[in-house]
Amino acid sequence: MSETSTPTANPNPETGEVSLFDAELARCPQPVYGRLLQQQCPVTRAAFTGSPVISRYEDVAWAMRHPEIFSSEMEMQMALGTERPMIPQQIDPPAQTRYRRLLDPHFSRRKMEALVPDIRRHASALIDKFVDRGECEFDKEFAVPLPCTAFLSLCGLSLGDLDLFLKLKDGIIRPQTAQPELFEGLAIAEIMEKAKTVRAESGRQIYEYFDRVIDERLAKPRDDLMGQLVHAEIEGEKLERNEILDICFLLILAGLDTVTATLGCNIAYLASNPEPRESLVRNQGLIPGAVEELLRWETPVTAIPRVVKQDVELGGFEIKTGEMVTLLIGAANVDERHFQGASEIDFERGRNLHLAFGAGPHRCLGSHLARMELQVAMEEWHRRIPDYHIKAGEKPRFSPGIREVLYLPLEWEV
Amino acid sequence: MRARVDLAKCVGHGRCYVLAPDVFEEDERGYCVVRSEQVDSALESQARLGQENCPEHAISVEPG
Repeated sequence: MSETSTPTANPNPETGEVSLFDAELARCPQPVYGRLLQQQCPVTRAAFTGSPVISRYEDVAWAMRHPEIFSSEMEMQMALGTERPMIPQQIDPPAQTRYRRLLDPHFSRRKMEALVPDIRRHASALIDKFVDRGECEFDKEFAVPLPCTAFLSLCGLSLGDLDLFLKLKDGIIRPQTAQPELFEGLAIAEIMEKAKTVRAESGRQIYEYFDRVIDERLAKPRDDLMGQLVHAEIEGEKLERNEILDICFLLILAGLDTVTATLGCNIAYLASNPEPRESLVRNQGLIPGAVEELLRWETPVTAIPRVVKQDVELGGFEIKTGEMVTLLIGAANVDERHFQGASEIDFERGRNLHLAFGAGPHRCLGSHLARMELQVAMEEWHRRIPDYHIKAGEKPRFSPGIREVLYLPLEWEV
Repeated sequence: MRARVDLAKCVGHGRCYVLAPDVFEEDERGYCVVRSEQVDSALESQARLGQENCPEHAISVEPG
């Protein structure tokens, strides 16, 4: 997605439209959210697409809890290189409920707790590689590999497949960044077409990869997540091969980028704010609260899409059946109507009902995994590198949509 | 104090049993289970913390 730079005109003061792929919105979204939340109408339109954007906390939470109106069944519109809906994300209840019953136990807090020593070891090993250098590029050297390693461990896949996984994931999520050579000199329309081709090809390779893994587990049972999926049953029936593939596709797409982005946002914030950082170093007991508060404040997954299944009206704004809408979670999470002191960052906030993991039946399946990874990473990082800052003269670079900090150069004393 | 969970609303965020582990626990799916409906007076503030932090408003705590 190309970036535009109009720092003060978002949302557009005349039309009220918000540009969701604005560079400023990715870098520092809260002022944009603040202006959006002050608009009289609770729904605005997105620039370029014209699709409705819902931003107030109560409305976003309500939409998330009403999948019969705000449906997730939109795999065609999303064009993410899939051949069928991803399970369970792109399927609504009641079919979705059957899959969640099966999958939830594999991602429960208790199950994720058991992975802590493994993740801690991986985090520590990554830090070993650069700690004595006194500098690193946080995204490439820590935020990208850690969640991917965690994912491979969880699934029981070979750590040697790390680079392959990163390539496939980027091929879907940001084809232009993954394979820039394919896009050189192309016009906008050609870029869209090329992106579609790269996505489809990456999608095909993801299906193929997991197809092989399924064969391996069928031949030789193992007690990892892949092994369990192969033998899992819903109401006495085994999952079909395509169902397993559609679950795997979701895991790779949802499980890697989101934690990467959150790690980057957290560390970018703490690198520029010594006081809260020092409070975490002094008292590691604050880390779980800090993880929650930074999920609220930074909201790395800024928005999620839904398709409207029946005409609905919000504060006088009519949304028609079939329209794609954006639930702007980032704005909801700083809405003064819901959060006391919404624009203050408080690691000891007593009540924090942020929507970073969604709400209602589609609550993020990986929320316990993400929280565990974030907490362990924050603990290990601050234990090893307590005092760090953004490299002098450099600026972090954020991607829009999912706010991965694509470039985050850090330095510290050695 | 009495604590109850409405399982029609719970979707397994797990904030309750993380923040108030002496009052709530998790079932196999990671959904809320109230350890004992009758909450010991020493645990009342913990119960309230768990209740307040349920994003689905699925938990109620009442005197009694």
